[in-house]
Amino acid sequence: MAQPFVKKDDDLDEEEEYSPFYGIEKGAVLQEARVFHDPQLDARRCSQVITKLLYLLNQGETFTKVEATEVFFAVTKLFQSKDTVLRRMVYLMIKELSPSADEVIIVTSSLMKDMNSKTDMYRANAIRVLCRITDSTLLTQIERYLKQAIVDKNPVVASAALVSGVHLLQTNSEIVKRWSNEVQEAVQSRAALVQFHALALLHQIRQNDRLAVSKLVTSLTKGSVRSPLAQCLLIRYTSQVIRESSMNTQAGERPFFDYLESCLRHKSEMVVFEAARAITELSGVTSRELTPAITVLQLFLSSSKPVLRFAAIRTLNKVASTHPLAVTNCNIDMESLISDQNRSIATLAITTLLKTGNESSVDRLMKQITNFMSDIADEFKIVVVEAIRSLCLKFPLKYRSMMNFLSNILREEGGFDYKKAIVDSIVILIRDIPDAKEIGLFHLCEFIEDCEFTYLSTQILHFLGNEGPKTSDPSKYIRYIYNRVILENATVRASAVSTLAKFGAMVDSLKPRIFVLLRRCLFDSDDEVRDRATLYLNTLVSDASVGGTDEDVKDFLFGPLDVPLVNLETSLRNYEASDIPFDITSVPKEVKSQPLAEKKAPGKKAIGLGAPPSGPTSVVDAYEKLLSSIPEFSSFGKLFKSCSPMELTEPETEYAVNVVKHIFDGHVVFQYNCTNTIPEQLLEKVTVFVDASEAEEFSEVLTKPLQSLPYDSPGQTFVAFEKPEGVPAIGKFSNLLKFVVKEVDPATGEADEEGVEDEYQLEDLEIVAADYMLKVGVSNFKNAWENLDPDNERIDEYGLGVKESLAETVSAVIDILGMQPCEGTEVVPNNSRSHTCLLSGIFIGNVKVLVRVSFGIDGSKQVAMKLAVRSEDPDISEKIHEIVAEG
Amino acid sequence: MILAVLFTNTDGNILVERYVPHLLPALDSFDSVNTFPPIPSFHGVPAEERLHWRSFLVKLGADNLKGTKNEELLVASHKSVFVVYTILGDVCIYVVGKDEYDELALAELIFVITSSVKDVCGKPPTERLFLDHYGKICLCLDEIIWKGMLENTDKDRIRRLIRLKAPTDA
Repeated sequence: MAQPFVKKDDDLDEEEEYSPFYGIEKGAVLQEARVFHDPQLDARRCSQVITKLLYLLNQGETFTKVEATEVFFAVTKLFQSKDTVLRRMVYLMIKELSPSADEVIIVTSSLMKDMNSKTDMYRANAIRVLCRITDSTLLTQIERYLKQAIVDKNPVVASAALVSGVHLLQTNSEIVKRWSNEVQEAVQSRAALVQFHALALLHQIRQNDRLAVSKLVTSLTKGSVRSPLAQCLLIRYTSQVIRESSMNTQAGERPFFDYLESCLRHKSEMVVFEAARAITELSGVTSRELTPAITVLQLFLSSSKPVLRFAAIRTLNKVASTHPLAVTNCNIDMESLISDQNRSIATLAITTLLKTGNESSVDRLMKQITNFMSDIADEFKIVVVEAIRSLCLKFPLKYRSMMNFLSNILREEGGFDYKKAIVDSIVILIRDIPDAKEIGLFHLCEFIEDCEFTYLSTQILHFLGNEGPKTSDPSKYIRYIYNRVILENATVRASAVSTLAKFGAMVDSLKPRIFVLLRRCLFDSDDEVRDRATLYLNTLVSDASVGGTDEDVKDFLFGPLDVPLVNLETSLRNYEASDIPFDITSVPKEVKSQPLAEKKAPGKKAIGLGAPPSGPTSVVDAYEKLLSSIPEFSSFGKLFKSCSPMELTEPETEYAVNVVKHIFDGHVVFQYNCTNTIPEQLLEKVTVFVDASEAEEFSEVLTKPLQSLPYDSPGQTFVAFEKPEGVPAIGKFSNLLKFVVKEVDPATGEADEEGVEDEYQLEDLEIVAADYMLKVGVSNFKNAWENLDPDNERIDEYGLGVKESLAETVSAVIDILGMQPCEGTEVVPNNSRSHTCLLSGIFIGNVKVLVRVSFGIDGSKQVAMKLAVRSEDPDISEKIHEIVAEG
Repeated sequence: MILAVLFTNTDGNILVERYVPHLLPALDSFDSVNTFPPIPSFHGVPAEERLHWRSFLVKLGADNLKGTKNEELLVASHKSVFVVYTILGDVCIYVVGKDEYDELALAELIFVITSSVKDVCGKPPTERLFLDHYGKICLCLDEIIWKGMLENTDKDRIRRLIRLKAPTDA
């Protein structure tokens, strides 16, 4: 095959048949374009030159501004020719060149002439070109003609005007909206394509008017819509109307459902498919409604066209996530798709089957997948692995075959993400299915014997250290672990040393032998490995001499690092070497809420290998630094919590003020962040006068004014209050900003000497119970819950009255308590009638609190709530109930 | 939206390449997309992104189109974007779409394209034949797609339209 556009002389002779554009060059073609200026136009030759220009453009060649302008002017000369083929080329060329606004004027008159020409085709094309290159001023001039064109009896002209309307709506919506009467008329057109284009435009014009869309759908679903394309559009608009109306009407027949169902019998596949998909996507669809749609999709599964098979399986895959039973009828068809040529179809079939499969079919399915896995890409494999994981959790009895499958694919070639997905799956299965533990750990041990990924090796070693000692025969793992010390890189070796130490601490019978191994590690070439070995040997060997007990050792080895890693990291960075050793209790424990996107990241929910979730806390850190730099506050002790800033002014006012509440054990500090948004003013001696008459337990101890607040450079003023130690006192504070204002000359930036005292009312602020709660998550709520003394549990039930929705109620309760939702339980599934939310936090005085709160909603939207609280202190459990009762 | 239409020969050399401005989603994140001054763009698509898309599509074809029958449609999806592609004679054709232009609408689109190309060339084209009729094929594409939207779907109508003849059903 010849290569156009590339000059190669030697491969010419290989192919007799070579490109007519062989060796084409921009410069030469631009020269050729001079024929456009000939007084005697050779239409054929001009067409050829335009073709060459188009070829260049379509190859990604760009014209400079000058070149484009030259070509454009030359092309406009061609309007003189009467040759239709050439004229058609000219229209296209003008569109491709998309001339700039000052050039457009050259062609508008020619195009306007064509727009009113007797030749229908000239009219249609001129409309399309004009609308492509026009701007709004020109558009108002030609609007009259466009309106006429929409109802032109020639369908090509009408379509051209309508599609122009669709495009122009984005830039000149006001003008296009004025055409709705004409468009309405065009919807009734007998020409199928005109009807389609008119429907699309009309809907776009009215899309924000629900009532109008609903009317449109009502009238059209009764009548006959000719083109299948228009029918598809109508189905989409119908499901939109259904979606919106279902919010208002609770029960009863679904409107327009009959219409959707009738579309399932349409002769065009496109319409049938669209209707089927619309039905499966109805919110709260019943199985009776689903059946006809599933039936037609099932037919598509055995279609000879890959596109239809793909579309059908893709839709069924989605349905299977919500209504697996409805899809089981298609299982046989889907199984035959596993061997489909198209890998996308095969993967979708597999994952759908994994969702719909029942316990008896699992073994057969696994066999089929095994054959299939070898010839798909990693990204598909990960999807399959994840599907298998959820299947295994659904049918725990089948763990054996699935665990074997996972270990087999773990041994095969694959990238990091794929291997990580498999390892994560095995870990989750081990954790949730106790019977699978030994076999799973064994597979992981096999894997690390030949694992090229340091990250995975260390994660597995950590997991092994936690789980291995609890198995029936811990000694058999030692060989695998010690092999790492001999064979691997320093990071893995260090992990292996920690794992050995854990075995030593938990299994007394192994202890002497572990010591031997650890001592050998003392001669390791790496510092970290040697340090760890020394540390563990000392803690394990001489329990008594260090003063620790067996419990302490275990706590040290297995206990969670109860500070977020990020906080620890920043604290360590800030720590300056001195005689005072680093104190881990000084690290803040507050976990800043993470951005939603990050939480939803896939795989995040499967908290891999038990790493505690951690979040960025640089803000808290910054506050702590700021406060500790102010000597007046140094006597207040350690900062318990800083709340997120709360605005005290409306946006866009003269002075913007927000407040941050800092909670100490016996004090509260309000940090007012002020910004002066008036360039002509300089504020001095800025303070906030706080009226605490509605906050009886608080008494003001000091105010720290802000000396100067120039334009647009924020500053802070502080007010501190004393309150009873450790008590979650609440109250309301009203605020008045006081300052001295001085005029500033914006030109010179100099301020007047004399100032005027002034004040500015700010919004009130409140100290609420949630301010005394730190959002601290736990990685395993169940364990944490069981570890707290049941005697400290307090349970009560509350009627919350009529609420809008369950989700809203749940988030309101979370806000009142100010606690960290665990395990994703803050998300309430749509339409659910009951929900349980797990919350965790640390209450002032460093008391750990866990809350398990269940909600139920009945038909009349009455919400009931059951609140169970466990904490380290029964009084605090009581206190949480008081908070909820007051909230 | 129809985001892109690409014609290549069987070796993956570009014959026609068209994109809808600003809508083509990045295949992966490219830092250069935001760099100033902007790199020269083509139909509003930054050059680097375009190259990435081009090689993505060409690779897709190289992996799957061998031995495929004329006009047999293949399908793929990447993130929210659908790709339908086929081979016609010596010419590989790819169309990329999203949202309302899902795999079915694109199948319809590619059917219109292949039938028009066959119509213009008289048979499934060799590369030479395709290039001989290059101008007409450009006109056909102009009739079929208008800034990312499907406009005409009937090959006979398109054949008349590119010669500026009114369609027969008018």
